[in-house]
Amino acid sequence: MFHSRLRAAALLAGMLGAMVLAQAPARAAPAPNPEADRLAFQAYFRKNYPAVKNSDWGNGPYALNAGMRKQWEAIMQFPPYEFALAAGEKEFNRKFANGRSYADCFPNKGIGIRQNYPYFDTKTGEVVTLGIAINRCRVANGEKPLGYKKGLLAAIETYMAHTSRGKPFDIKVPNDPRALAAYEAGKKFFYSRRGQLNFSCASCHVQKAGHRLRGDILAPALGIMAAFPIYRSKWGEMGTIQWRFVGCNKQVRSVPFKPQSKIYRDLEYFLSYMSNGVPITGPGARP
Amino acid sequence: MSSAAVRRGTLALTVAMMLAPAMAAAATKTDAEAAIAAARKAEAAAGVLQNQWLPTEAALKMAAKALAAGKYDAAVATAKRAHALAELSIQQAREQDKLWHNEVVR
Ligand code: HEC
Repeated sequence: MFHSRLRAAALLAGMLGAMVLAQAPARAAPAPNPEADRLAFQAYFRKNYPAVKNSDWGNGPYALNAGMRKQWEAIMQFPPYEFALAAGEKEFNRKFANGRSYADCFPNKGIGIRQNYPYFDTKTGEVVTLGIAINRCRVANGEKPLGYKKGLLAAIETYMAHTSRGKPFDIKVPNDPRALAAYEAGKKFFYSRRGQLNFSCASCHVQKAGHRLRGDILAPALGIMAAFPIYRSKWGEMGTIQWRFVGCNKQVRSVPFKPQSKIYRDLEYFLSYMSNGVPITGPGARP
Repeated sequence: MSSAAVRRGTLALTVAMMLAPAMAAAATKTDAEAAIAAARKAEAAAGVLQNQWLPTEAALKMAAKALAAGKYDAAVATAKRAHALAELSIQQAREQDKLWHNEVVR
């Protein structure tokens, strides 16, 4: 079983997972084609989980497991992200010392735009996540940058996601070699086996989506960014996508990267693009 | 990682662990420092490939602690384990550089 495999000796886990691969010769690298990738990716999930509605992919494990869904519906009567939502809204509307505010930094004054992040900034040549955009706004207005895992930044994101609920992901990969390279780097990271346990993100969130791992049901990779930020009972607070990446790297015994490092931004870019068309459900709540 | 590589890695690890106590009996401070330096170098190479493993880091820390405590035999043994793990992670990164294409949903 998957559960015991993860707990078994690390090398054994590696061998089990890799035997199939060892026989297949590596495929040649095709030219990047994000839209073809996205269509194949979504077709895979829709074919394997035909009962899941489009609006439900952003509900992570709850989309695939009726038992967990019941618990979740009970929790959502008093959503645990309410405090962060209120704090985030207050901060969002606060005036900086120079009289400006967050609204001045974003399209549509920052309301209902979460589905457009991350985007590729053709000026700087890099991926800009919502977290990066929030800190850029602060720094440009003389405020200190915030930490990227939790706290006030997660609260602001909570508010911004909340104003965007129901809006489908609409990520763009411009036809710019730098944007395509960032997309490919994220894609490669997602599919590469890592850590002493030799798992890729796809090993768990594609090949084993909906299966149980310890107490958890594995969320499907389609829509996996849509609920963030999330209140996670295990964290006891709101956390960002980037914090979750750190945790998922560590559990395969891989040294994690810094939140908002280039590779994590590229990863978020790839995963968000794969979810184009799936509506934002965040802020979310998880066990 | 291919199963052949894992087997090779397992072998390297086993050999390292078998040799370690025999050599450690006579380990000096210089031996310990050299073993740690070599392991750190391999771990830095894994870092360039963006593929370090947590157990390697843990073993490196333990080795440094043993060195500081004057336990040179333990320092050498643990550094060699760290070194073997770092080599495995390098091998994994090199192989995944090509093999990741096989996992892509298409
Ligand atoms: C060993 C299996 C495993 C691997 C490998 C893994 N994860 Fe996870 N991941 C989990 C578990 C368990 C959870 C918590 C339950 C859940 O929500 O899926 C989780 C949760 C998540 C979530 C939150 C989903 C939600 O709706 O709350 C995201 C996002 C995520 N993982 C991304 C990744 C990425 C990106 C990678 C690769 C860097 C990765 N994971 C690798 C097991 C894994």
